[in-house]
Amino acid sequence: MTGAPPVPRRLSDTAYTRMTLVLRGGLIVALALMLSALGLYLVENPSATSGSTISSNPIQQYLSGPGLVQGLAAGRPEAYLALGVYALIATPLLRVLTGIYYFREDGERTMTAVTTVVLVLLLVGILVLGPLIH
Amino acid sequence: MDLGLFVLILALVAILAGLVGSLTGLGGGVVMVPVLLIFFGVPFPVAVGTGSVTILATSATTGAAYVRDRLTDLRIGMFLEIATVPGALLGAALTVTLTHADLDEALLIALGLVLIAIVPGAIARRGEELPTGVVPDERSRRLGFSGQYHDAALHRDVSYQAADTDGALGVMFGAGIVSGLFGIGAGVFKVLALDRYLRLPMKVATATSNFMIGVTAAAGAGVLLAAGYINPVIAAPVATGTVVGAYIGSRILPGLQNRTVRILFVPVVLALAIEVILRAVGLP
Repeated sequence: MTGAPPVPRRLSDTAYTRMTLVLRGGLIVALALMLSALGLYLVENPSATSGSTISSNPIQQYLSGPGLVQGLAAGRPEAYLALGVYALIATPLLRVLTGIYYFREDGERTMTAVTTVVLVLLLVGILVLGPLIH
Repeated sequence: MDLGLFVLILALVAILAGLVGSLTGLGGGVVMVPVLLIFFGVPFPVAVGTGSVTILATSATTGAAYVRDRLTDLRIGMFLEIATVPGALLGAALTVTLTHADLDEALLIALGLVLIAIVPGAIARRGEELPTGVVPDERSRRLGFSGQYHDAALHRDVSYQAADTDGALGVMFGAGIVSGLFGIGAGVFKVLALDRYLRLPMKVATATSNFMIGVTAAAGAGVLLAAGYINPVIAAPVATGTVVGAYIGSRILPGLQNRTVRILFVPVVLALAIEVILRAVGLP
């Protein structure tokens, strides 16, 4: 347990800067998409009520890949709302991907492997576990 | 109620929740999830999905600020995500499964109890600001879990090293489950792991916890989105409002007595927790 103190290791300043950009950029894109689509949705659905919104999810048919692409091409605000949610969820994933890149660049094999496992777990959870228990 | 008015009210309440969450250190989701359940009649899994989206947004805001200031230990944070992510996936899967089994009441009681458990951690005296006599374990030594940051309050650079990684991984797994189950950040548990087990300086622990919360929430949110429990018409105004509230809180917090603010608002969270439990057992 005791002995020489561990050798401090730290990701480069570039890695810190890139991660800040990823987090800020992802948030701005996601919120801009969701808020502008929400505005359009409200304009297109003037008679919608809180009760109908709580009881049914307007993006349900746009959650699949083909549904999302068709909705985006047709300019449906619900599809852009779904895209905003996807962008928000993708932001931390991009951040993990950025981490893998910089750990690999620094030659940190264990941390590269650990972070890759985290990314795989996230992707499996989102792409496989979610649809499976749905 | 007209949807436009509903969205506006949601955003305004979320600003207040973000403000309270920021001032108490509990996070916006801790306030917003029970508020959605009690005052807006949002079903449990949809409230949890909204909470997950809210955490994603607030974590990207505060997480980015701490990363920019070099207070976050990226290496330790990314290492511990190997425990929080499976925990969050399990938690979100449990929420979906138990909802399908019509066990919403049990989830509500569990949420109320977790909220009550979180509050003392938020008001209790935090651990040592700068821990001394830290002995790193073998893994911490091998992976070089140590670092340095500039402490503006102390006007000097502070060096630190991490201690018990096994204990921290265990607590982080539990924090992930809580986050996935209830759509709250569970930052109190994450800070506990970073403070008590890894024995990091409090500023590094808080910053690293904020950084990790987003990835944990993404795991839960992905499962809940696929199950149809993320409704962006509700989530968008709530997430935006909470981010605005948290930003306002971070601007006014330095001018306030932190402990006084916490003592002031903690009864609010306790009242919400008790109301959630009472509703679950069918009492008004």
